[in-house]
Amino acid sequence: MNETVHNMNIREFMTRHLVEVFETMLSMKAIPIDPFEPPHYDSRVSGSVGFAGDDINGAVYLHLSASFATRIAATMLGLAPEQIEGETDVNDVVGEVSNMLAGGLKSAFCDTGYPCAVSTPAIIRGTSFIVEPIPEVEQIRLLFGCENERIFVEVHLKSN
Amino acid sequence: MASKILSVDDSRTIRMIVTRAFKSYDATICEAGNGEEGLTVAAREMPDVIILDVTMPVMDGVTMLTKLKENPLLKSIPVIMLTAESGRENVLHIAKLGVRDYLVKPFKEEQLIEKVSRVIQLVKKAT
Repeated sequence: MNETVHNMNIREFMTRHLVEVFETMLSMKAIPIDPFEPPHYDSRVSGSVGFAGDDINGAVYLHLSASFATRIAATMLGLAPEQIEGETDVNDVVGEVSNMLAGGLKSAFCDTGYPCAVSTPAIIRGTSFIVEPIPEVEQIRLLFGCENERIFVEVHLKSN
Repeated sequence: MASKILSVDDSRTIRMIVTRAFKSYDATICEAGNGEEGLTVAAREMPDVIILDVTMPVMDGVTMLTKLKENPLLKSIPVIMLTAESGRENVLHIAKLGVRDYLVKPFKEEQLIEKVSRVIQLVKKAT
C-alpha cells in the first residue's frame, strides 16, 4: 500500500464518515464495534460504489440486513416501513447512502493527491455471499451497531 | 406566484427529500433523473433555481451545467450543486463552472432550505 494513502487512516476516516451520514440523513446513532466480527444476515442488501484513478482504485461496500435496509429507506423517505413496497425504494436509498460514503472517501483521496472518479451505485441482494478481494487488494472491514442491527462496511483498495 | 425549483438527481430518494424540504413553502418542484432530462425540463419549465447532482448516468451534472451556461435562454438560471464529493479540487472545479452555491451530502433539509433561500425568495405557505 502506498505510504501516503496508508497514512490517511482510511479506517478512522470511514468510521467518522459513516457515523456522520447516519446521523445527518437518518438521525440514527451508529456505534463502531471493535473487534470486528463478521455479521450474519438472513437476507442482505448491499450497496457498492467503485472508484478509479491513475494511482488508486477500489470499491466501498455497505451491507445491511434486508429488514434494516427497509427501515432506513422508510426513515429517509419519511414513510412508514409498511409503506415501502417492493425493492426499488430500498435499493435507491441503500445506493444513495453508499454513494455518500464513497463520495466522502473519494474527496479524501483527491485532497491527498490521488484524484479518482466514482461509479454510480450498484445493489446486490442475497442470503449468503461474501465479497472476496483479488490478491494485492487491501480490505478494510468496519462494523457498527445501530438500533439493534449491524452495519457492515468494506473498503477494497488497490494503489497502483 | 410559487417559486419553481428543479431537482436533477438520479436518486429518487434525493428528489423526494428535496420535495419534502420545500413542502411548507409556496414552491413547485420539478424533477429530472439525469442531466439530459434536466436540460429538457429546464427549457420547458424555466425554474427559478436548479438543484443539481454531480454523478449521474446518461449526462452528469458538470456536463449539464456546462451546456446550461452555453444556452443564452438558460444560462441565467442559478444552480446549486448537490454533491457527495467535498474535495477541494471538486469544489474549485464546480465553482469555476459558475454555480451559485453547493451543498455536500450528507445534508440536513434545513441546510438545503437555507442555501436555496439565499438564491430565491421562499414564501411559507399560508396555514
